[in-house]
Amino acid sequence: MDMKTKSEKPGGKAHSRTKKEWELKPELPDSHLVSTELFTSEKIFKEEVANIWHKVWLPICHESELPEVLDYRTSGIAGNVPIVVVRGADNKIRTFLNICSHRNNIIVRSPAGSLKNAEPSGNPNHMTCMYHGWQFDATGSCVEIPREKAGYQDRICKESLGLRQIKTEVAFGGMVWINMDDSAGPLRDFIGGALDQMLEQLDTEPLEIFHYQKSRVQCNYKLFFDTSREFYHDYLHFHNRQTSMTKSGYFDQEYTQFKNGHSVSGFTTVDYTSHQGTSTRTLTMPGLPPNGWRHSTIFPAAAYNIRTSCVRVNIIMPISDRETLIEVRGFGLKRDTAEERSSREIDYCSVWGPFGWNLHEDLLCAQVQTQAIKEGSGALWNVIAREEGNKVHDEVGVRACYEEWSRLMNRSTVNP
Amino acid sequence: MASLDNIVWPIQRYMHSITNALNLERWSDFLTDCCETRFNYKIVNYSPEIRKNQVWANRNYAVLKKGFELLPRHNSDRSKLTRQIVIKDIELSSDESVAKVISSFVIYKTHLDDIDSHLLSGVTDLYAIGEYHDEVSIEKDGFKLIDRVVSLDTRQLDIGSHKIF
Repeated sequence: MDMKTKSEKPGGKAHSRTKKEWELKPELPDSHLVSTELFTSEKIFKEEVANIWHKVWLPICHESELPEVLDYRTSGIAGNVPIVVVRGADNKIRTFLNICSHRNNIIVRSPAGSLKNAEPSGNPNHMTCMYHGWQFDATGSCVEIPREKAGYQDRICKESLGLRQIKTEVAFGGMVWINMDDSAGPLRDFIGGALDQMLEQLDTEPLEIFHYQKSRVQCNYKLFFDTSREFYHDYLHFHNRQTSMTKSGYFDQEYTQFKNGHSVSGFTTVDYTSHQGTSTRTLTMPGLPPNGWRHSTIFPAAAYNIRTSCVRVNIIMPISDRETLIEVRGFGLKRDTAEERSSREIDYCSVWGPFGWNLHEDLLCAQVQTQAIKEGSGALWNVIAREEGNKVHDEVGVRACYEEWSRLMNRSTVNP
Repeated sequence: MASLDNIVWPIQRYMHSITNALNLERWSDFLTDCCETRFNYKIVNYSPEIRKNQVWANRNYAVLKKGFELLPRHNSDRSKLTRQIVIKDIELSSDESVAKVISSFVIYKTHLDDIDSHLLSGVTDLYAIGEYHDEVSIEKDGFKLIDRVVSLDTRQLDIGSHKIF
């Protein structure tokens, strides 16, 4: 597919464009263009929260972040809706809106901890709202309302004032997934086969988190998700140009699309020695050859990325139409020796993490891109028109993402 | 042999000198002050989110050196980082061959091209705080850094950094 406007012909003299020419819609199918309004509209963002983020399965944290019974982990989903994940006395992981049934105070405030520790205004083993002392157990039941009978007589009672529970499953490497839609189908139906290629690495034995990083980035979430959906931007990363693009077979990697907007890139190996300062890697994840690399993106919030000795899971969570929280987790095997863990950390941090070569560049790009994509700036279209037979530089992954976006939003990406 | 009284001032000068080299991005000067065979550099912090100590960088001399050489080839936030240190403690080993030095640091970022250079270049923000835990070899002809652990209090580093702290 050639990208040309009506006034241009391939092979013509290259030239800068007038305002009229600039604003002409490229002669491309609608599926190959995205209006920049998708990245700047508050109205569209609110619809996205309702139609996408509150309808699909989202990874929130990892089971190893709450290893003991009565451990908890707080988080926020699209728009920063507060939630709390709790491992019950029955060892089951449940998720609740972290909002008190009484006056809507946030109940559990710390990022993580154990309910076994008493709070200043409440008993241990419960989630206690510090405001008026209402208490909830690890199943979300309201178990204590101070002076309940005196204040409410029998008009309301704690038995009917439990927390709002959110559908939760633990799967695919021990990630905790939630779905705000009580009528949603099972997680495995949503994922389809998009993580099948890495199940051996994810599920042969328990994973354990060793790295956590979060960045609040000034960009619409889709701009960052786009960087997970295409590999044409390997040109951005010197590391990737050295370790991957120079390898024979790089341009032949298959890029496969799955239902519900998920994508999978084909297995490949990476030559770390070709990036000076980064040595070859011998420690691997189960079933992965040395220097192997696998990558799957799960619409709309996650990317699983396995580089030889570590698993990285990105969670992309929109805060507003122009701000996004990126949470990045690194995993090794739970049974790692200290030496193995240290080796994984070194591998992980050479590419990822706040001081790694790659993530910094992705975040830099999404943030700078946002400065240009603003209402009235003249930025009209994101062009997603590369077609290379579903190989690694084909932008088919981005197109599949927006096709799913259109389906869930019932909106066109060209005239939203 | 060194005594604590005799080396406090020279150590302080040395610590400010290596800080200055990092601030001026004179990476080779910094490396000259590090022991080529033994130096190791780590960035660590405690994460209340995962309730674990974690490592964000772990590099030996050779990896650091290559990293400095490759910096111009990467697309980086080229904002200037300015480190200010306060030396809190100097402790000599029993054989007086190594000094353990703890310094608190504050890092400011003066923006250049990380977001919008037209609006924000020249703005200075507080970027990170923490402590350097250093081991300094006391040698006949001066000091050599043999170990640096950067212990961060700050855990949100915006888009991160290709430059070490």
